[in-house]
Amino acid sequence: MKKILLALCLLFSFESGFSQIKPNEKLVYAASYKMSGMMTQLAQVSMQTETVNTSKKTYLHLSLEAVTFSKWDNFFKIRDLYESYVEPTTLKPSLYKRNIYEGGYTKSEKYVYKSDGRTIVCTTKKKNRPETTKTITVGSSSQDVMSIVYKLRTVDFKSFKPGQIKSFIIVFDQKEFPVSVKYMGKEKLSVANLGVKDCYKLSISAKTDVLKGKDKNLIWLTADAKKIPVQILFSIPVGTGLLKLAKASGI
Amino acid sequence: MRKLFIYLATFFVVISILFTILPLGTIAFLPILLALVFSFLAFEKSAASLKKIPKILLVISALTLLVVVGKVVFVKDEVVVDKQFDQEKVDSKQEAVEELEGLE
Repeated sequence: MKKILLALCLLFSFESGFSQIKPNEKLVYAASYKMSGMMTQLAQVSMQTETVNTSKKTYLHLSLEAVTFSKWDNFFKIRDLYESYVEPTTLKPSLYKRNIYEGGYTKSEKYVYKSDGRTIVCTTKKKNRPETTKTITVGSSSQDVMSIVYKLRTVDFKSFKPGQIKSFIIVFDQKEFPVSVKYMGKEKLSVANLGVKDCYKLSISAKTDVLKGKDKNLIWLTADAKKIPVQILFSIPVGTGLLKLAKASGI
Repeated sequence: MRKLFIYLATFFVVISILFTILPLGTIAFLPILLALVFSFLAFEKSAASLKKIPKILLVISALTLLVVVGKVVFVKDEVVVDKQFDQEKVDSKQEAVEELEGLE
């Protein structure tokens, strides 16, 4: 599941720019996994945004939950929570958290971004192991895997030509690695409660063993100002998965 | 040849039962289809006095098919309310706010 979620996160890219992301947006996806050439429904993935106030600042709280459908809970229960607290306009992360429960395995991670934007204090706790803390230095444009999902939607794809590639850097599992996104053109897709929409088709690749195949990791965003991720197809070493938008609200 | 068909049918019937119990949805149709085919072939190749085992395999295959069709049609994909997970989300947010306060 970790690979699946990382693959999902890698299916997004980012570019410096101002946020078009509003609070109280909720996107619900049905996640399917391909086995023996057929897709089977596995889990529900929800992405939400909300405003969080501290005594001095306002943050945008980005969260992603992955929860197995009840029929799977007795066999392989998943309760994953990915969170990022970002500056609302630039989407620069201040705090990233990850808590996963996958079939009995647990892991929690916390990245605290220091004010220089390049130093991250990473705290990790795995099942039956002691908590560890490590300080890492990253590039100033590095994003965590949650905020990168939303950064993608600030990119102006209108100016992109088919085949155009852009490279970026993300931080995951206390490591930085490059990700590139290729604009492949537009396609029409039927989108949950939004009707038929023109969508940007993007191919994602990363210098990691998580994603497999050329142009087999794809994401479709609505070709409008909101750029809602409506469909995500990913290929990982253990198979192929598909996320389809089931419901969108607050957009 | 009859024995081979019975072995294959038995194998796919066992797989079909497993896939029927597991929440694998339409994927279960694959072994069920093969179980039905091999059970039928074993039935056809058997003499009148030896049709009992193929008949049992055919019936089990048909039953698994019925169960899977029923599950596909009537069982909805939904998530249950998980109070523990909901509480963890609340706790995580509270902890995050405290952490952010400490950063400022």
